[in-house]
Amino acid sequence: MERVVTINLNGNPYQLEEPAYDALRAYMTRAEAALAANPDKAEIVRDLEQAIADKCASYLGPSKSVVNATEMARILEEMGPVEGDAPEGAARAEGAPREDAFSPSRRLYRIYDRGAWTGVSAGMAAYIGIDVAWVRVGWVLTTLFTGGFAALIYLALVFVVPVASTSEEIAAANGAPFNAQEVVERAKREYARFTDDNAPRWRAEWRRQRRAWNDQMSSWGQSSNRRAATAAPPQAGYATRVIAGLFAFIFSVITAALLIAFLIAFFSLIATGEIIGWSPPGEAPFWLVLVILAIAYAAISAPFSALRKTSYETVTGQRDTNGSDGVATAAIVLIVGWFAWMYLPEARDLMESAYVVLRDFSNYVRETWLTN
Amino acid sequence: MPTADEQFAGLRKGLLEFAILTIVSGRTVYVGDILAALAPTPFATQEGTLYPLLSKLRREEYVDYNWVESGQGPPRKYYQLTDKGAARLDELGAYWRHLTATLEGLGR
Repeated sequence: MERVVTINLNGNPYQLEEPAYDALRAYMTRAEAALAANPDKAEIVRDLEQAIADKCASYLGPSKSVVNATEMARILEEMGPVEGDAPEGAARAEGAPREDAFSPSRRLYRIYDRGAWTGVSAGMAAYIGIDVAWVRVGWVLTTLFTGGFAALIYLALVFVVPVASTSEEIAAANGAPFNAQEVVERAKREYARFTDDNAPRWRAEWRRQRRAWNDQMSSWGQSSNRRAATAAPPQAGYATRVIAGLFAFIFSVITAALLIAFLIAFFSLIATGEIIGWSPPGEAPFWLVLVILAIAYAAISAPFSALRKTSYETVTGQRDTNGSDGVATAAIVLIVGWFAWMYLPEARDLMESAYVVLRDFSNYVRETWLTN
Repeated sequence: MPTADEQFAGLRKGLLEFAILTIVSGRTVYVGDILAALAPTPFATQEGTLYPLLSKLRREEYVDYNWVESGQGPPRKYYQLTDKGAARLDELGAYWRHLTATLEGLGR
């Protein structure tokens, strides 16, 4: 009896017995070492993974789902040792345009392999067909000349542009130039598929959050950690990930705005007894108004948080985002807030009034509790 | 006594590129076709050798590939000869004929 390891070979899952996995890992480590000086290392490794995956698939069938050590040994024997190639022709034709009749249409992806940070510039360079250094210089210059506005666009691209992870996607990142007609048709098709595929899931998520909320109301005080242990959603298509990235951005801003509005209302209620000019009816006790406010906030924000989380899950293809969506939200709030402060006088007024609210609150606390 | 195939491995290795360019010049092929075409010949080779070599040939712009959907499984890279590759193949062929002619001439 052997333990089984599930691995990802060029975007598809395969199950291997542990000794088979060890053999494969040793083979790939040697291959990567042999290709260390090769400028196309990443691509060759992907090709090798795909070739191994094809060979694994030929051993698997409806009644057999795990590759054992003997079969892996035979597969690696067939593959043969990977030979390094002298780094002579290092003058690589970077992004040379290849206009092939049946290449996949070119798409903008983030390419982590070649990127320094988020892969946005590397993806744009592959898309336009110029050196990545020019793209980076372009970002820096436009950021300087637009007073930082380009940085906001960059941030939005990090969200909206999917990462190329399989060899097809990497091919598409460098692929043939797109044709506008095709792009429009594809966008329509993908949008229709997106709504077909995801609308039920998103509605279900909304309902689930509603239910969780109702459960919590009925069993007040109990832990509500009842997140269903469902399988990871399948990797979504390009347009789906673009739209989900956009939604992740929008819902992040909405949830953050709701939180800020709640905090302002909460502090202003405590400090001045009224919420931006509105005072609660005199007969309601003060604590009850606070509780109602908190409940109202939770009820309003829960569905938006759920949608935000679902968007992030669609973007990353992972069920559990490990709080990274929270960090991303905080980053968005900081940057959007900064731009609002810079360019929108109304937003600046609001932030200043928020400061006044906080000041009133701290004064109130000081006078009520500290000076007694 | 090792076979001729084992003894002259170094000789074949230098000619593998020639053999691959020749196969690719006839039709567009994917790696499986190249391996199958070479398997019964003295140039029989394996993925571990072929992928790095094809990648080098592509970098030198002698071959190029297109992604083609396959009936089952993921799309495959179909390789074809470029104009530059065709010129290279002509050059290699001429040089090869020059070499063999020289060798035969030396024995006389």
